[in-house]
Amino acid sequence: MTDPTEGRLRLTILGGFLGSGKTTWLRHQLHKRAFGRVHVIVNEAAEAPVDDALLTAADQMTLLAGACVCCEARDDLRRTLLSLCDQRSRIADPAQRLENIVLETSGLADPAAILEVIQSDPILARQIVVAEVIVVIDALNARDQMQQEALSRAQVEAADRLILTKTDLAPPDRTAQLRATLQQAAPGAAQSAAVFGSGLELADVAADTQPFALPDLAGQDAAPIAASQLDLGDTPDWTAFTVWLSALLYARGDQIVRVKGVVRTPAGRLLLQAVRRSVQSPEILPPQGGPERSDNEVAVIGRGFTQDQLVASLARFSA
Amino acid sequence: MCSACGFPAAPGHWTEAGAATPHERIRERFRRVQVLQKVLQGTGVTAHDGGVVPGIQVISLNGAQTIVANLEALWAEVEAMRGHAFDPLDI
Repeated sequence: MTDPTEGRLRLTILGGFLGSGKTTWLRHQLHKRAFGRVHVIVNEAAEAPVDDALLTAADQMTLLAGACVCCEARDDLRRTLLSLCDQRSRIADPAQRLENIVLETSGLADPAAILEVIQSDPILARQIVVAEVIVVIDALNARDQMQQEALSRAQVEAADRLILTKTDLAPPDRTAQLRATLQQAAPGAAQSAAVFGSGLELADVAADTQPFALPDLAGQDAAPIAASQLDLGDTPDWTAFTVWLSALLYARGDQIVRVKGVVRTPAGRLLLQAVRRSVQSPEILPPQGGPERSDNEVAVIGRGFTQDQLVASLARFSA
Repeated sequence: MCSACGFPAAPGHWTEAGAATPHERIRERFRRVQVLQKVLQGTGVTAHDGGVVPGIQVISLNGAQTIVANLEALWAEVEAMRGHAFDPLDI
């Protein structure tokens, strides 16, 4: 009997919380050509996209920025997938056809809601098979995320495969405890580890390792996480901006989940990325990626502040 | 990053990544302390950087002084001297 999935386009959903390392993992996989002939769909909640600049190894890419495809931008996702199915069906030679789609979700997406988009569409359900839901877990921050964010738990529960990142920075006993918790939350999901995309061996978890407590988040009344956009102008003042951002992360690091953007400086185009209080050494990007690139715009994602507050505060530093 | 799939990272502390030449670096240091002196007004803490010794000097109202290596350490020192953190959304 033939495999019912044969001939269908394979979709891999790559999920995980804000700043967990989805793009870093994916770009290494693309570099290794782990997905064959692949079309990458990148979804970012922030309006100024950054991830597309990092995924240059993809054969083809579609960027859906400014809204999350599991909620507001469902129709955009449906349209994009339908158009990929349509393009593929016009190619007669199977050796030339697209094999895989990788959907890198925004850090605020619930993979289960994306599965629903595909299953509820009669055409997509016949053309696309969801190969795997991969969820990237930040070994340093996952404990706080799972204890505080219902979304983070929903992502873990939706996973077929869990990839732990930043395990080189997390204490081994904490990683073991995290793995026991993940095992409890997603018993069927295979666990592996990767540091900057390269696979890493995980030691066995001792049988007596206790998972950490997950408080009941039902009725949680926290303000939703929102993305704010900062326009730094054509000639950004990097120094004033970093004095401001370093102070902000120090004082409000608990509320700021993610900062990212590309800033032009005399030293080149710098990719700025922060998760909570920890800021990565900025990567120096190649000179220009196209006229429509939104450089000098920085997204600050978190809760407990408004975009207007950030803009007014930054203005006091730059003046 | 594996050396093949990533882009090169700027060396040093992330806040100092905007300057590549010695000339730009010294200019950034003077600009940094100028911004700090302005925003720290009224907080009871001042910052100083003469450009000669590495680091930023932090001075409290009662004369306590210390030199910190970068902005991240500076905000921790400001908090220690004042007893509470400096919140840029609260000035």
